[in-house]
Order: sequence, then C-alpha cells, then structure tokens
Amino acid sequence: MELNMNREAKVISKNVDVFYGNKQALFDINLEIFKNEVTALIGPSGCGKSTFLRCINRMNDVIDICKISGEIEIDGFNIYKQGVDVVRLREKVGMVFQKPNPFPKSIYDNIAYGPNIHGIAQNKQELDEIVENSLKKAALWNEVKDRLNEPGTGLSGGQQQRLCIARAISINPEIILMDEPCSALDPIATAKIEELIDSLKSSYTIVIVTHSMAQAARVSQRTGFFHLGKLIEMDETDKIFKNPNNKMTQDYITGRFG
Amino acid sequence: MNKELRRKKRYQAEKRFQVYGIIAISLAIFFVGILVTKIFSDGTSAFSRTMIKTEIKLDADLLGITDINNKDEVENADYYTLIYDEFTKSIPFSNDEEEKQIITLLSPDYEYEAKDFFLKNKDQLGKTVTILLTASDDFDQLHKGNFPRDIPEDRRRLSNFQLQIYDQLVKENKVTKVFNNYLFTKGDSRDPELAGFGGAIIGSFFTILICLIISFPIALMAAVYLEEFAPKNRITELIEININNLAAVPSIVYGLFALGILLNVLELPRSTALVGGIALSLMTLPRIIIPARASLKAVPPSIREGALAVGASKVQAVFHHVVPLAMPGTLSGTIIGLAQALGETAPLLLIGMVAFVVEIPGSPLDPSSSLPVQVYLWSESAERGFVEKTSATIMMLLGFLIVMNSLAVYARQKFEKKWN
Repeated sequence: MELNMNREAKVISKNVDVFYGNKQALFDINLEIFKNEVTALIGPSGCGKSTFLRCINRMNDVIDICKISGEIEIDGFNIYKQGVDVVRLREKVGMVFQKPNPFPKSIYDNIAYGPNIHGIAQNKQELDEIVENSLKKAALWNEVKDRLNEPGTGLSGGQQQRLCIARAISINPEIILMDEPCSALDPIATAKIEELIDSLKSSYTIVIVTHSMAQAARVSQRTGFFHLGKLIEMDETDKIFKNPNNKMTQDYITGRFG
Repeated sequence: MNKELRRKKRYQAEKRFQVYGIIAISLAIFFVGILVTKIFSDGTSAFSRTMIKTEIKLDADLLGITDINNKDEVENADYYTLIYDEFTKSIPFSNDEEEKQIITLLSPDYEYEAKDFFLKNKDQLGKTVTILLTASDDFDQLHKGNFPRDIPEDRRRLSNFQLQIYDQLVKENKVTKVFNNYLFTKGDSRDPELAGFGGAIIGSFFTILICLIISFPIALMAAVYLEEFAPKNRITELIEININNLAAVPSIVYGLFALGILLNVLELPRSTALVGGIALSLMTLPRIIIPARASLKAVPPSIREGALAVGASKVQAVFHHVVPLAMPGTLSGTIIGLAQALGETAPLLLIGMVAFVVEIPGSPLDPSSSLPVQVYLWSESAERGFVEKTSATIMMLLGFLIVMNSLAVYARQKFEKKWN
C-alpha cells in the first residue's frame, strides 16, 4: 500500500471526554486523522466510535444531555471553542448516516438543498452544474440523470446512500464522516460505495465508522480500535490487522469477541 | 379428551365474541339509522315551498304608478294593496272575517314578492299576469300533508272556510311546490315559510374562519416550539399536561371566558362571529396542538439529522423539512378541530349568538347566528314549519361535517403516501 509520506493532520482530538447525562461514553480520546486519507473506526457495538464521529461535526449538540470536554482541532482550530458557528463547521464537515436518509423531495432538490441554504450557486445554471458534479462524484449520475425530478426516496437502498453522499459533497466539504454507511445495504451496493470512498479520498478526508473489519481493511489507510469508550489502538490499517500492539485488538480482529 | 374439550370451548368462545361484536355493530347502525331516517323524514319537506298561483291585473292606478320610468314611483308603489285587492277578489267571500282569512293564506311578505315580480316584468303593466306567491306556514304544512284536518275547527289553525279555499285552489291546479330557495338565502324569521339558514351558514362561515385564522398559526407554532425547540424540563412538562387538560375542558367554560373577558372587559361587539370565533379558537387550540405535535414527532429524526449535516440551522431543518412533512397530519387535525368547532353551541349561546338575526351578516363584526345555534333556536319553536327547518338545518350541518371529515381523511392519505 502506497502511503502519503508528507502526511498532514486534518483533525486532532485532544483529551476528549463525552458524557450522556451521568454516563461517560468516551474516555480521554487522543488521535489524529490525516488529510486525504480514509480513517476507519472499528469496535464492538456501544464502544463509542459513532459518538466520537459525531463529535467531529458537533452532531451531538442535538442531544440535550450530551456533554463534551476536551478539544477537537480541525486545521488547528478548536471546534469546541465558544462562539464557533456549527453551521459553518458542518459546511466543512459533511456526514453520511447509517440508514440512507434522503429528503422526501426530488433527487435534484436533495442535492440542491445544501448549496441553496449556503448560497453557493449564483444562478440556476451553476446549481445545475453542482448537482450534476455531485452526482457524478457519487457515481450516481448515469443512473438518475433522466429522472432528477423523481423522489429520492424512490431509489434503491444503495442508490439512496450514494445520493446522500452526493448531498454531502454538494457543499464541497473538506471532511466527510460516514457512520456505518453500508450496514443497511446488500454486498453489491456495499462494493459500489467502497469503490466510491476510495475515489473520493483524493479530494476529501474521510472518516468511516464500520462494523465490518473486512471493510475497514479494504477501504482505510488508518484504523482506530475503540472499546468501552476508550481508544485502544490506532495505527496504519496494515499494522492493525496484521500485527497489532494490543492484545485486545488482536482478539477483536480475529473474532474472539465483539 | 380433555384437550379436545378445551379446544372446542376455545372455538366457541371465539364464535361468541364475534357474535357480540356483530350485535354491537348492528345496534349502533340501527340507532344511527333511526336518527338519520327521522331527520330526513322531518327535514326533506323543508326544501320545498308551497306557492299559490294567482292571476292579477297589474293595475297602474292601484299601484299608484303614473310613469313607468320613474324609479322612485316604481320603488314605492303600493304592491300591498295590489295583491290584497287582487287576491281577495279571486276568491268569493261574504264578510270581513272571511276576507281576513283569505289574505292570511298568503305569507306576509307578499308585497315584496309582488315588487320583485313587477321589477322584472315592468312591460306587463296594465296586463293580467299569473304570479306565484308564497303561501302561509299553515297552508304550506297543509299542502305537505302535515296538517291534521280531522280535529275540531276551534282547535285548528285553519278554519273550515280556509280548508274549503285550499281544496278549491287545489282543484283549480293553483297550488304548486317549488324549490325553497329562501331556506338558503334568508335569515331567521318569525314566519317559518320565510325563515332560512342562509344567515346561519354565513355566520358559521365567519366564525370558523376567525377560529382558523387565530388557532391554526398559534397552534402550529406552539406545537413546533414544544416539540422541536423547547428544553425538556418541569415547565414544558407542565405546559404539556395543561394542553392535554384544556382539550378536555367543557366548551361552555370557554364561552364563560369569552363572556367575561372579551365582552365585559374588552367590550368587543356582542353576538358577533368575531367573538364567537375567538371563543371557539380557544377551544380548538389544544385540539390542533395535540395532533400537530404527534405528526411532528412522527417525522423520523434522520430527516432532521440529514438537514443539520449539510449545515442547515435548527430553524431551517425544522421549517424546510420537518414541518412540511408533518403538515398532512397537522392539517387533518386542524380540519377535525374545526369540524368540532362548527358543531359547537354552548359557548356561542353565552356570547349572545343566540340572538334573533334577520339580516344576513356581512362581516364578522355583524350580529349573526350559526348553524348549531339555529338548530337550537328553531327546535324551541312550536310551529310545524320550524320542525322541518330544524331537521333541514341539522342535515346541512351534518353535510358540512361529513365534507370536512372526508377532507381530513383525504388530506392525510393523499399527502402522506406521496413520498413513501
């Protein structure tokens, strides 16, 4: 596997603790996510990997009882500093969810929504271009170009998920977070998404949470293993899967627990 | 064997249960059937009106018209004398008492009917024409077969002489029934044959309109705030419980509130659709908030997350995505709430919409009646003519309710299915 030698840390997490009410969900997470790479977060259910992912674009803010301490820096800037505009943060950090969640609108409107609210396109023509490019990047254009006005919810599961990826990249983010994007999809659709992730990494920094270790091994350059709210080990994917430092990581990837 | 027996018993229990269900439903249908049959058998005759055909000479002298083009003269001509003279002339009588009995066979509005006729047929001045005049209530009921002829004369509202005239007129083919447009176009009247629920329909329309204008936006905003933005704490919990309780408060309490605050303190005009609408909107508020919140809650959280993740603000996520998706349920809740308000009587009685209103209200600030109150008013009147009008009004009210409820069902099914 070729590695980018002059790596640049895009996201740095420093001493991140997360509490849901009185229950602590994450313990002192320190890690780095490098630019234009795919970073996979793995671990058994409830280990906190999704919680951490949602910290990167502050989606946890939606949950009233969720409290976060520590710092997450994106390009050296702490996103948990007071006065940070989450709207601008999420413009920069897109997200794709576990279950495809297209808006119950047309395919076109699904993509156009983000650019519209951010005022990215100056006119209809530019908007059309953004929609087309986003769908092309998400490898969906050829399948839907003749029915852009049909509801996005009418697509198949895999197509819906690619639509959601297109929606995420429509506002040209720098980071894309993916929360188990293939868990609701069949193997063929999964293969397409993985292919897509691989092609997207040249333009975006991607963080993917996955249950499938095979998927982590296939798509990612670096992998972090979470267990019971702690980051057990984070290293090059090759190393994690072939020769992990930690015994627990070894046990998990060989299927002894989880 | 024991097992066999138990299985048999189980099947029997199942059969029994089904029989109970069928009996219950049959009973329900039976009672509804009786109700509807009663209303229809009483009410259908209200949709026709008995008219007496009379030949009259449009005598210029009698009318007091010297110049047909003089608007003032035509307007103020003596139509009363014209009809009085010509109608009593058409039937032979022997004394003043009988003359009086003849003219009371006509509805007291005959002069206006004659005027309307003449204004449309000015060129017939001086000629003899056939005109249809509305018969009096008693004559009307007699012709509709609701008048008991076989009781002694002194206990009847029509004398033997009048019955004779009726028989004679029928023989001469001078009594006909026409569609009762008065029922739809006129306001209340002391004379059943001239009374209509037109004023009540307009009054109900204004009342419901005011109710909608006030309650829908407030209820929607309250529901959106409580469901999407409000912090979950003691206070919001208390508010929530209170809203649920308010939905169960008897409507007369809202009427008392309207009477005490709107009429006595704020001194808004009494008996008007404005005050009625405000009182009803208080009642309707919780009945819209509750279904609106339910439909907001039913919108999957993934839609909110999807919007937030592309950088929509909370307000944008809610108003661009969640509220539109919750609209069908909210709208159907609103329509059902309004349908309930439409049938509400008690609060309107308290704020004086029970008044006798002849004029058709032109705005929500005019004194007006409403359909359910009209039912209440007419059901207290003794005349047979009002009995049929009561039932006709109920039919009208039921018709509106059925239309509104079907609309609610339609709104829900049509728009909710669209995307799934």
